Amino acid sequence: MSSHGSDKFVYHEPGLQHQFSDMGQQEESVSIGMWLFLAQEIMFFGGLFTAYLVFRSKYPMAFAAGSNKLDAFLGGTNTLVLIVSSLTMALTVYFAQKGNRHLQIIFILLTMLFGATFLGIKAFEYHDKYVEGIVPVQGWNRREKAPAGERVEQKPCWQHERGEEEQYVNPKGEFVWTDCSLVKLAQDENFLTTAEKSGYFQNGEISADKFRDKVRIFFYLYFVMTGLHALHMIVGLVLMTWLLWTAFKGYYNADYFMPVEMSGLYWHFVDIVWIFLFPLLYLLGRHFMHGH
Amino acid sequence: MAKHDPEFEHEHIAIPGYLLVFGVLVVGTVLTYVVALQDLDFIFPGANTLVALLIAFTKMACVMLFFMHVRWSPRLIWLAVVASFFWLAIMFSYTMQDYLTRASGVFTQ
Repeated sequence: MSSHGSDKFVYHEPGLQHQFSDMGQQEESVSIGMWLFLAQEIMFFGGLFTAYLVFRSKYPMAFAAGSNKLDAFLGGTNTLVLIVSSLTMALTVYFAQKGNRHLQIIFILLTMLFGATFLGIKAFEYHDKYVEGIVPVQGWNRREKAPAGERVEQKPCWQHERGEEEQYVNPKGEFVWTDCSLVKLAQDENFLTTAEKSGYFQNGEISADKFRDKVRIFFYLYFVMTGLHALHMIVGLVLMTWLLWTAFKGYYNADYFMPVEMSGLYWHFVDIVWIFLFPLLYLLGRHFMHGH
Repeated sequence: MAKHDPEFEHEHIAIPGYLLVFGVLVVGTVLTYVVALQDLDFIFPGANTLVALLIAFTKMACVMLFFMHVRWSPRLIWLAVVASFFWLAIMFSYTMQDYLTRASGVFTQ
């Protein structure tokens, strides 16, 4: 019978997995799988963006006040660092396609370097928040007892001057917030939302405590969104370490480099999330400081 | 030689192209920062946010089309990309049409 069929030489590309009929089909299958994973990642982050949208539309002034406390310079630097890492990642894929193992390894290392720089700056920022007492969890902030014998002078929170140094008193490591000058501004110029008119005031007066609780919502979202993003960066770095190892062992060539390209998709996705986090968290209230 | 699917043409935009996209992204970042410091509320309230989002969407489009090679991807990938944003839009719009009609949102002041 046709027993010769099994002896016949069939051309088989070295990178082709046996379940696919050709390279094109394999590439399309791998890509669609990765893109569906990214689609669910978009929804994953989308949930947090929805929470942001809801609370910001209710309490825009609290969000602006919280945002102004973040370091936009460090946030902007991190944006640039991530963009550079995206470029090096794109070049990694490019050189993998060219089958250039040497440059591929160099660009993976550069990508890892910039990824680690991003996380370093992020850690520095988180530490700043701890020192300033704006981590929204009780006990997770720097503790500082009130000086003995001295009464810390209390003045209305809306008379807070910008850039004014204030004594940091926080014996229990709570979330502290003493500046509600933006509420005063919005009240004077009559653009408080309905939610804000009841949410910031007690008996017709601006309530420092009620405003602080709304600002805390912003910092909850800040930490969860940037924290989840940082977690993705860490996963990305683990992925890069594996990629470095396999590239070093020479697994990839001009015909087979899908793992490099798919890791690239992940890395670029994480970059895209930051492209939105940066303006939405760091820059949203800046114009109030300059225009008024 | 490997017989690639013509839809998966791997030349793409090569190094000058990648550098150009990179340049656009850097300019976009600097622009976001500079524009955020200007008070655009005289146009309409919230104009700052709209401009920031427009720049962010442009940057995202650059990354997706060129760095992520969507530009040269088959229709199936385009479908996955567009569909994921469609689902995101459903999540945003259905949530907000609820919150904004409860007489305590930003549009009901």
